[in-house]
This record gives sequence, structure tokens and C-alpha cells, in this order.
Amino acid sequence: MSFLSKRSVLEGLNSAKASKTKEWRDNLPTWCPGCGHFTGLHGLYEAVEKLKIPQKDFVVVSGIGCSGRFPFFIKGFGLHGLHGRALPLATGIKIANPALTVVVVGGDGDGVGIGGGHFPHAARNNFNLTYILLDNSIYGLTKGQISPTSPMGMKSGTSPYGNIARPINPTTLALAYEATFVARVFSRERDMVSDIITKAIQHNGFSFIHVLSPCVVFNKLITYNSWHEVVADLPADHDTQNRSKAMGLAASIDPIYLGIFHQENTPSFDDLSQQIKKGLITPA
Amino acid sequence: MRYSEITIRFCGIAGDGVVSSGKIFAGACAKIGLHVMVNDIYSAEIRGLGKSSSTIRFSTSKLNSMGDGIDLLVGMAAKESIVDLHDIKQEGSVMYDTSTPGSVVEEDSLVAHITPEIHGYGIPIKQLANEASGTNQGKNLVAIGAICYFYSLPPDMFIEQIKAIFARKGERIVETNITAFRLGYDYFKEHYPLNNQFEISKGLKPKTLISGNEAIAQGAIDCGLKFFAGYPITPATKIMEIAAKELPKLEGWTLQMEDEIAAISAVLGAWFAGKRAMTATAGPGLSLMSEMINMSVMAEIPAIIVNVQRGGPSTGLPTKVEQGDLNIALYGGSGDSPRVVMAPCDSEECYNGIQLAFDIAEKYQTPVIFLSDLFLGQRIETVAIEPNIDRERCTRKRPTPEQLKNYLRYQITDDGVSPLIVPGESGAIYSITGLEHSVTGNPNYESDVHSMMTAKRFRKFESMVADLPQADIIGDEKAVIGLAGWGSTIGSILEGMEIARKRGVTSKLIKSIMIHPQREDLFQEFFASCKKIIVPEMNYQGQYADLLKSRYGIRPIEVHIPSVNPVSPLKIAQKIMEANDELSQ
Repeated sequence: MSFLSKRSVLEGLNSAKASKTKEWRDNLPTWCPGCGHFTGLHGLYEAVEKLKIPQKDFVVVSGIGCSGRFPFFIKGFGLHGLHGRALPLATGIKIANPALTVVVVGGDGDGVGIGGGHFPHAARNNFNLTYILLDNSIYGLTKGQISPTSPMGMKSGTSPYGNIARPINPTTLALAYEATFVARVFSRERDMVSDIITKAIQHNGFSFIHVLSPCVVFNKLITYNSWHEVVADLPADHDTQNRSKAMGLAASIDPIYLGIFHQENTPSFDDLSQQIKKGLITPA
Repeated sequence: MRYSEITIRFCGIAGDGVVSSGKIFAGACAKIGLHVMVNDIYSAEIRGLGKSSSTIRFSTSKLNSMGDGIDLLVGMAAKESIVDLHDIKQEGSVMYDTSTPGSVVEEDSLVAHITPEIHGYGIPIKQLANEASGTNQGKNLVAIGAICYFYSLPPDMFIEQIKAIFARKGERIVETNITAFRLGYDYFKEHYPLNNQFEISKGLKPKTLISGNEAIAQGAIDCGLKFFAGYPITPATKIMEIAAKELPKLEGWTLQMEDEIAAISAVLGAWFAGKRAMTATAGPGLSLMSEMINMSVMAEIPAIIVNVQRGGPSTGLPTKVEQGDLNIALYGGSGDSPRVVMAPCDSEECYNGIQLAFDIAEKYQTPVIFLSDLFLGQRIETVAIEPNIDRERCTRKRPTPEQLKNYLRYQITDDGVSPLIVPGESGAIYSITGLEHSVTGNPNYESDVHSMMTAKRFRKFESMVADLPQADIIGDEKAVIGLAGWGSTIGSILEGMEIARKRGVTSKLIKSIMIHPQREDLFQEFFASCKKIIVPEMNYQGQYADLLKSRYGIRPIEVHIPSVNPVSPLKIAQKIMEANDELSQ
């Protein structure tokens, strides 16, 4: 098993496409073979390579969970923080040095469970952060308990009679929280993941990417195949300036739409705080 | 009577203008050049429910504490002032409102409770305020005018102070308030003979007033604070408000976060990126920050956490003082979790101490918990603080070119401190974690790595001792009665020692802003020279005494004062006298 897992990982990393991002690869990922998170990692490799971000100016911040080890798998600076606290940690980093490119990575438990109270405020402040939420609808690192995005009825060690809570939808949350860039991608579609992560990093303000990222070991209900059957690209004529329309499409569960739901060009936290720092606004 | 020191208390209900009376009065006294200390006591409600009072002690010499008792009580609200009659000293006085005679039941009447040994002075406060403003507004100024005459203080200074405070509210308000002041002054002049004279020597220089909270904010800003993240909480909010106004002017920023967990997280983030950052909170907030403070310990990211202690566990007593957070500050982390704990004893130490806290945190890559308390944080006092401004100050240990060739974030060194570069700087990159880790920063759970890294984190505290200030020993060095204290209790201890000295018993005090680590050699030596050791503090458990007992093997006389008021110097004096009696038996 260990031989197999290592080989399949290496195959992924050594593909022709991956070799372009060799400079960005760091420690060998500790994820299980087939984990959806590999796509998110590759997407980020490709985005930072394409955007030519200097490694000294690049910071990845994560919380706890399978996604939490992300900073150790990519070059640059990394802060593997506490469970649920990646966003406020990243906030401090970005405000301290706005020249840095700061990417936040977390899972569903980290982002809308324990850290759910931070998400709205990072979004509404429009901090210049990119937040990648790798959603596998399960607590993987603790070996398979329900998460806030697990479907009703899911049986697990902590829900032996089935989950009786309704799952929440991170994409609609981001829209409700006034995020200025909201997208959803599926980790089976590598090119789309890379492309949207690139656009998200380029966005001036808070960008949120909800990645449907299956856990192949602990989640038997939500899988590559189950998602594959219901995902669909957003309608070609979707207006990314219309938040309420986006909300409706994001809430749809069949199909589950993929793509950029909302993108708004509005002053970011950096822009507004700079005006105050320049003395353009007088205090009360 | 001739006085060189007076304590006045304004007492009323929330919304009576009691706290602003204290501010105006203290401001005028400071302008005259007197030493002033003001302590406000109020309830956690904004209006109506609670009683509030402002006590002002002013003197021609330096003040260490609020002392014991009051010379003059000003009863702005009759019913609420009755209990304060007990605090009036011998030959003391009370000023009461005669505007509505006969309209109150006897048990609620202040006059009915005045005992023969207290001098009562009636004045139609409400009526005169109405004469001046047409409303009840300005009652406090009528009272201030009366007091000004009562102690023959110079009215010009008060009028200047009224102008300064109300200027931004417009000409009319200033005029109305000056009229109210004059009516109070003239009423007393007309109705009562001038019996009291407050001694004011010539050549006094105006002094500035500052609170502990203000001193902390200013000290931090002056030594390079660039980012403040916080969540409003009594009694620490003032620090954040100052930072919010001042930091943007200095290329810095203040962020009101969604909770205290976010606040401390953002502070760690900013330090990770190489900027001096802080938060300020009180008990419940400190509890929430525990986990991230441990991340600061583990990942060796500096952090400054000011904790302005208030009363009780849980929400407790938000507007009352207690020194009950020493244990959580020292021991509030899971695992072997060393952290620096400091406790300033006055505004001057708030200013200088917070600067030392930043220097230590940055140099040793450690959290520093800075324990102020509500009394120290909110009281205003005349303190001459020597400004020490260097906004580019940095005590970070940087790697040599040699070390950069093979950079190790957690390089093992003799002093435990690893050279540090931060994101944005060239030469090396790294990722770090709250997991146990090897010298590179990569997660590592091997037994010898954990032992080595734990030892490294603790070794920093041994190296730090060389940078620590000396402990202060105050009093009679030859005395055999020794006291040890911390925080704002120190002021009361000093005054208690002085009272005992006047009664013929000398004593000495050891105090240090450093609670952990401490100059243990100096403390050992001090305790060895004492036959009796007294440790007074404002909590039920004796948290500092517990620390001293385990650290130095002493058996002190513990004085636990879980009171909601600052410690009484007389009580300390009494303990010193008792210890002396025991020794001479």
C-alpha cells in the first residue's frame, strides 16, 4: 500500500504538465492517493508559476485538517495555523505587509465549522486574500466524522444514526458575506481549477473558491462519481455582476454549477485603508 | 483647617455627570500643579440602574494610592450617597442638595443620615443648575464651584479647564457651565464662612494627566507598534481607541475583529510578517486567546497581549478591579508552555514596561502577557513620563550570511533564540506550524526532537534573565519585615509602609514588573533577609503568593483582598504592625 501510494503520487507530480511547476514543489504531500486536494495544489502551483510571484513574497496560510499541510507542499512562506484560524492569521500578515501575495487554504470543517465566525468578516472587509476552501464534506484527518457540509442521513462515527443537520453551502455563504469574487470548481477538472485560482489571485479584494474535493477514503456518499453526475458549467450568459442571480445559481443542487458566480470591481481593504493613511479622511 | 492633601468624592447615579466632574476637577488641579489621582467606580449599565462615583485625591506631594477615606462627599444623588457617608474621615464634610426639601422619604434622605461628627453643607445644586442652564445640566459644575471656594482653590484654573473641556461643544455651553460654576462658588461664599485653606506653594508647574491605558497605548506607539487588532471589552477598550486614531497616521493600522480569537490571530499574523503588533483585552477575552497564545509559544511567533484585569471568573464584574488573572497568564496554556508575564504598577511603568515587553517579545520570539488592572488602567494620575520615541525600533535577531546559506528557522543556539527572517525578505523561505517540528520547521514528532525543542523554548527564558531590569527594593533595607507585591497594589503597599513607619515600624518592599521570568537571585536574597514576609494582593486565592511560595520556598503572611475597590493602605499598615507585634513577642 505504501509503495503504491507513493508511486501514484509521484506519477502525478512527474507528468509533463507538472514538470513546469517543479520550482514550486516542496515536501511530498501526505495525502492519500486519489485525494481531491492534489488538484487544488496543482492549481496553485500553476497559478503562482503563471503569475511569476516571487517565492519570498508568497505566503500560504492554513488551518488544521487534511488541507492544513498545504503550506509544506509548496515553496514560499507558510503558516500552518490553528484549527479554524487561518483567515485572521492571514489578515494580520496581509495588513502588516500588503506587498505579499497571501493565499489561505482550508477544509470544510476548518472554514465553515470551527472557523465559521471568521469567514464573513474576512469577506466583508474585502481583504486582498485568496481563500481556497477544499470541501470533502467529511472530517478526514480524524478518520471520518460528519462535517457542516455533509448530507443529511450520512452515517459516521459521530453520527451513527445518520446526520440530522442540514448541510450548508459555502458558495452561497460567500455570496451572502459580500465576497467580491466567488467561484466553485470541481477537482476532477484540473484546467478550470488552475485557471480560476489564477483569476482569484489577480482579483483586487477578497476572492473565494469553493473546491469540490472528494475524500476517497472516508466519504462513501460524496465521491468523484456522485459529483460528476450533477456538476454543470454556469450558463454562458451568467452575469457575474449580479449577486442575487448568482445566489440562486449557487443554491442549486441539481445541477451543481461550476465557474465564477460573482466578480465585482470595487475598492479593496488596501485601497480604502490607504486613503485613510494618506490623511484624506479626518477622524471623528 | 489647612490642608496639603484632600480627597473628594462625587457620588450619583449613572448619567449624573459624576465621572466628568472628576475629570474637570482633576484637570484643574493638574493645571494648578498639584499631584492628582482619580478613581471612578461605576456599574456595568450605561444609565439609570447603577450608582457611580468619582474620587479625586489631590496633594502637594506625590501620590501612590487613593489612600483611605474621604474629606468631602458631594451627594449628587441623595439615596446613593448614604452608604458613602461611612467613608468620610474624622472632621470630614458632606455637601448635599437642598433643592427639593421634604419630597423624599426619610430613609432615602442624605441629610437624615448625617451624624453629628460630620459637617453638613446644604446647597441648592439642582436649583442653581437650572438658573444657569434652564435644565439639570451643569449640576456637577455648581458643585465644583462650591468646592473651589470651600478649599479656597484658585477659580481661574477651573474656568480655564471648563473652557478647554467644553470648547468643542460651542460657546453657549461653555458660558452656561461657567455660570453654573460661579453660582456654586458665590452661593458658598455668601452662606458659609471660609474655614479651609488648601496650601498651594508658589512655583508649581502644570502637570499632565494620564491613565494606565493611555500610557500603554502611547508607549506601544512610541516604540514602533504598527498593528493593533482587538475586540472591545471593558476595561481595555481605551487602548484600542487610541490605537485606532493614531496608528493610521503612522503607516500603521487598527482592526476591530469579530472576536478575541481573531484579534490574537491577526496579531500573530502581523508579527509573522515582521511587524510590531499587539492586542488588549480583559479576562473573558484572555480566556478565548489561550489557544493562539500557545501557538505563539510553539511556533515562536512574538505576541503582545495586554490584559486589563477586571473582577471574577466568566463575565464577572466588568467594571470592578481584581488581580485574579495571574494564574491564567502564567499557566493558561496546555502542554509545557512558557510565556513572559509582566505587571506594571503605575502609569510610568505602563509606558516604559510595554516598550520592554515589545523588545523582549521580538528578541526572544515569545508571547508577553502584560497584566494591568482596571484601577491602574482607568485611574488618571499626574505622572511625568519621559517620552522614549523610536518607531523603527527592532530587536529581532537576524541571520548572518553564513547562516542564510543553509537557513534553519529553528536553528539550535546557545541562548535558544534562532535567527529570523520574515516573509518579503530575501535569502530563505520556510513554513512553520503549531505542531512539534524539527529545526527546519517541518512537522516532527520524534521523542528526541520534542525534548530538544522543548528545552530550546525554555532556554530562551534563562537567557532572557540577563536583559531583565533589577527588582526594586524600597524602604528600610535593614528592616526584617518584607513585603512583596505586584501591579497596582504596590501603590497601597508603599503608602501602608509609610503609615507604619510613622508609627515606628519600618519595613521594605521588593517589586518587579517581571512576574515571569524574574530576577530570582535578588528575590532569594531579599527573602533571606526577612523574618516576616507579607504578600498582599487583590484576589481570593493568593495567586502571587502561590508563585512565590513554590519558587522561593517561603511561607509568607498572605493578605487576600478580593475587593472591588483599590486596596486600603491602612489595612497594609495594620498587617505590618501585626507582624511587628508577633516578632516582638
